[in-house]
Amino acid sequence: MQEDRRVTRRRFIQGAVGAAAAFTIVPRHVLGGTGNTAPSETFGGALIGCGGRGNGTFGGLGPNVKKLAQCDVKFLTKADNKLIYSDYRRLLERKDIDVVAIATPPGWHALISVAAMEAGKDVLCEKPMTRFISEGRAVVEAQNRYKRIFQIGTFGRFGESGNRDSIRTHKIMASGLLGTNCKAVHRKQGGLKVKEWSGMVKAEPQPIPKSLDWDMYCGPAPLRPFHPHRFGGSHRGYWDYEGGGLSDMGQHHFDPVQWRFAKDYTSPVEIEPYAPPAHPEAVAMWGWVEMKYADGLTFVFESHEWGKGYDRKEERGVRLEDLSEEDRKKIEEMPDPEPLVSFPDAIRTRKQAGGHAEAAHRCATLLHLANAAIRTGRKLRYDPVNEQIIGDEYANRLVNQPMRSPWHL
Amino acid sequence: MAEPSEKLLELVGRMPDPDDRGMYCTNIDKEKIEAAIAEIHKGGTENIIGVIDMLVEPGRGDDVKAHYALHCIGLYVCKLGEDARSQFGEALVSQLGGNRPKAVQKYLIEELQAFGGREAVEKLGSMLTDEDLCEPAAMALVAIRRGARRQFREALGKVKGRSKLTIIQNLGVLRDRRSVGELTKAAEDDDQDVRIAATWGLANIGDAGSADLLIRIADNSSGWERIQATKACLMLAEKLIAAGQKTDAARTYKHFQETRSDPGEQYIKDLAADALASVG
Repeated sequence: MQEDRRVTRRRFIQGAVGAAAAFTIVPRHVLGGTGNTAPSETFGGALIGCGGRGNGTFGGLGPNVKKLAQCDVKFLTKADNKLIYSDYRRLLERKDIDVVAIATPPGWHALISVAAMEAGKDVLCEKPMTRFISEGRAVVEAQNRYKRIFQIGTFGRFGESGNRDSIRTHKIMASGLLGTNCKAVHRKQGGLKVKEWSGMVKAEPQPIPKSLDWDMYCGPAPLRPFHPHRFGGSHRGYWDYEGGGLSDMGQHHFDPVQWRFAKDYTSPVEIEPYAPPAHPEAVAMWGWVEMKYADGLTFVFESHEWGKGYDRKEERGVRLEDLSEEDRKKIEEMPDPEPLVSFPDAIRTRKQAGGHAEAAHRCATLLHLANAAIRTGRKLRYDPVNEQIIGDEYANRLVNQPMRSPWHL
Repeated sequence: MAEPSEKLLELVGRMPDPDDRGMYCTNIDKEKIEAAIAEIHKGGTENIIGVIDMLVEPGRGDDVKAHYALHCIGLYVCKLGEDARSQFGEALVSQLGGNRPKAVQKYLIEELQAFGGREAVEKLGSMLTDEDLCEPAAMALVAIRRGARRQFREALGKVKGRSKLTIIQNLGVLRDRRSVGELTKAAEDDDQDVRIAATWGLANIGDAGSADLLIRIADNSSGWERIQATKACLMLAEKLIAAGQKTDAARTYKHFQETRSDPGEQYIKDLAADALASVG
């Protein structure tokens, strides 16, 4: 019933503005004033990246978004630039699209997120947010410059932020009352699909399928000979496009954990790996990575798939007993954090979404720092304000990797 | 190319064999790999070039172990210090520009992107005029940064097509103020990608004198190019504010506030109004 009413309202409004096509959604900017909230609350949407995660990601836009178009580099031979596109830039030119869901391989996430916001669209982007750290900062800047809504495609923090124990931890950490004496340790043990999402070190080049725009697929990464393992889900095993299971599963895991420990606006300062020498192109094996924040909080990634296990620190939460009696009272008096806003509500109300760009970027930074340590085989020190690795020029090259033209942020 | 010594072949042979999926997921022995790499490195430049001699084009043989070993040497020398690293860089540089297959040279350039320094800059600059190697050389130069601007400037007049686009873009990436004139010309190039790269570059450099040009391009273009030219104007305005040139920035915001009347660009009008208010 609600759907019928919405359509009726939309058609009425279309009539009022003289729209010709009965099933064309009036873009919200035609109807809304500042903030662009459409009276119909119905939005034109598009899906960019139509692989395995595509429809699931699009579903995250909510029930009020109608899919008007989809885009994928594998649509080269069937793109009509009306419903089906192979070049996201053409799709983003459309003014009837308000919201995009991005489910490409992560090598494209930042470029398309930024471009979509430049074109005035709100964005729901699959995780992991980015391929390397500086991309995340560019997404944050675009979100802020264009005042668009950005939400990362993992939602664990929404449940976490309703849990009383987590809220208490969040308040203690956000208060800063622990100073630099936080003893908490959070260990992510296994479940990071290391072997499953490794890359091939031995792969004979194959002919490029006619329907695939391979140059566009490679995008900002180096143009390599085609091999099907670099495409279609198994792309996760190549540094060019992602960072293996650690990247792919890591943002799911650490998104709620980062909220619990109130680390949405900072990053670790020390990162230490245990791993064999990394392959230059293929993601492969590693043992663990320990990451410490300036306040002493420790996060650990443990693969449980290679080498000796992590045995430095036991899992430990934040305890009220860590605080003086006076400080405990302060925590009790602190108001709870504001409830997180879902993406469908955010695009309607223009309030920041719960998994906003800065939070998503800081979570992705965990993954990228862990992978930078694995790839260099060195203990790294990181400056969370300037977002640079300190005193290691060669590791720092993994923070902001050059892009192949014409791609730039 | 000399035949690699038996000893070197044996050391490279200690690198792991790919598993049955063609991956490095089983029998990866960190200590064994690192000991072999240290031994290879002891042989100096001769051994590094010996490993390079084992590299082949994709599809022309099995160089999996040599490919991995070369990268492992790079990781190893970075731990040893600057002298060892620059020696490694020099060994890589010495093998560029000759008769080695382009795919092999491309891999050497990628290794320089990871591990190269000042010793590689001039040679990489000379690769910018090679259509096949321009892009990887540009990426390596941008990663190294020191001394790279000059290489791009000098190559610009010698290239066309995609290489020209690559060089224009990277002059902007490196914020080369001395290239403002060339970028200004390129902002009105026949090729849309070149125009977009040039306008972005002028904004990234923060050249106040480009503000009117960028506004004109934004006003007169459509579709994707209009979106990108508008971005360039906004980027430049932010850089001008950061540099204390608020009046110049305000002019851009005021222009967008007054002229972006299409409902599809309401968000630009709104953000310009907000920015103008905050500039004061």
